[in-house]
Amino acid sequence: MHIFEGFLPSPWWQLWFVFSIPVIFFGMYRLNKLVSEKRELLPLLAVAGAFIFVLSSLKMPSVTGSSSHPTGTGMAAILFGPAIAAVLSTIVLLYQAIFLAHGGLTTLGANVASMGIIGPVFAYVIYKAGMKANINFYVVVFLATAFADWATYVVTATQLALAFPAEVGGVAASLKAFLLIFATTQVPLAIMEGALTALIFKYVIQVKSDALVELNVITESVLNKIKGANQ
Amino acid sequence: MTNILDDYALVSPLRYRNNWLKIAIVGFGVLVGVSSQSFIPPFAIALCMSFATVHFGKTSLKFYLTILSAPAVFVLLSVIIIAFFFGSGTEIFGFNIFSYHLGVNTGGLEMALLVFSRTLSGMSCLFFLALTTPMVELFSVLKATKLPDSFIEISMMMYRYIFVFLEVAWGIKYAQTVRLGYKDWRTSLTSLAMLSTTLFIRSWEQGEKIFISMSARCYDGKLIFFEEKRPIRANELVLTCTYFAVVLTLWYLTRINSVF
Repeated sequence: MHIFEGFLPSPWWQLWFVFSIPVIFFGMYRLNKLVSEKRELLPLLAVAGAFIFVLSSLKMPSVTGSSSHPTGTGMAAILFGPAIAAVLSTIVLLYQAIFLAHGGLTTLGANVASMGIIGPVFAYVIYKAGMKANINFYVVVFLATAFADWATYVVTATQLALAFPAEVGGVAASLKAFLLIFATTQVPLAIMEGALTALIFKYVIQVKSDALVELNVITESVLNKIKGANQ
Repeated sequence: MTNILDDYALVSPLRYRNNWLKIAIVGFGVLVGVSSQSFIPPFAIALCMSFATVHFGKTSLKFYLTILSAPAVFVLLSVIIIAFFFGSGTEIFGFNIFSYHLGVNTGGLEMALLVFSRTLSGMSCLFFLALTTPMVELFSVLKATKLPDSFIEISMMMYRYIFVFLEVAWGIKYAQTVRLGYKDWRTSLTSLAMLSTTLFIRSWEQGEKIFISMSARCYDGKLIFFEEKRPIRANELVLTCTYFAVVLTLWYLTRINSVF
């Protein structure tokens, strides 16, 4: 869920930019380094960004009957790491603001913080930890993307609560209200996104597993193990 | 996905106006809207920008209202929360659920109205930019910002591929739908996963192909495009200045009498 233009009052939207901009610049620095080493990655990253955009504009079936969109940023974090995922999501969010009128320009900082930075970092940490602990690959992907999605919404609720503290009970009370509405309605959606991403990875491994090895997502040995289990 | 606003921007008559002027108008509206302390300036901005989009930009009013209602769900939900939890003053109405007392008071209602008006003004500014300025025009602006080349290159290539993939995605989706691929929840999940995978594989292969074809055409990390020069006309400047002056006056007047 994107925070819409004009929704965050004055000190807060600037503060979220202060939080996001250094991360985006670090991401750009990493991106520049990566691209100067391997120039063939630049078009690949561009199409990956376009893929995230298209993925996030697809409607996802949802249990409650309402529809939602996958964020796709958890998947980007698993594929390219959180720093580059942050840069890609910044571009995607900017395009979404301009093409689809999702999100906004002053709230871009806050949206990048939740969808482009904190969500992907969650996905990446869970993914790395899970792979180290030798848990089943698909379970790890499911957990990483589901929690990334959910973390995104918890952060969004926190951002709104910080900006609009309740008169009685302050930030904590309004956080409870926003969490109750946004984070709980997101639990089924987060599970959906996790399941969807795990399924995507299943098909990708069947059809084009060399791409994943090339991106250092999984090692050759893990891949052989998964393929062995499939057969 | 049905409303790619860029399609409308490409045929808008305002497309051929100066990009920097449009960005200045939008930036001004967004900043004043967000920093105003009363709901009057944001509503004035929303009105002016909507008028500019519909009248000068020749967008159909019906379509404009449809897209403006898109963010309504999120905004209304959050505004209701704010109305209940924020502010003080005399209570307007209230009720009890599970021994909790919930009430809306004047302060909360005013705050909710303010947030609603700010969002409305921000959205109308954004729609003005989206419906009158195609992304291709904005790339020249992006190039002037001194951001790293790789970032700009990626955004430009991404923009081009969004349309390629959207077409692929739509094609597959139609094919799946006519084969009852979305008949219930379980099949739609599988269908969507297959669709996304095909897209991923397509994009991967496409990425390899463009690198080869671009290297063959001496690509060295910089795409150069032709930029047209479009000077600002006198009447545009006068209109913009009048608009700025009116909004700033409103902003100044409501700032002094502000309640918050």
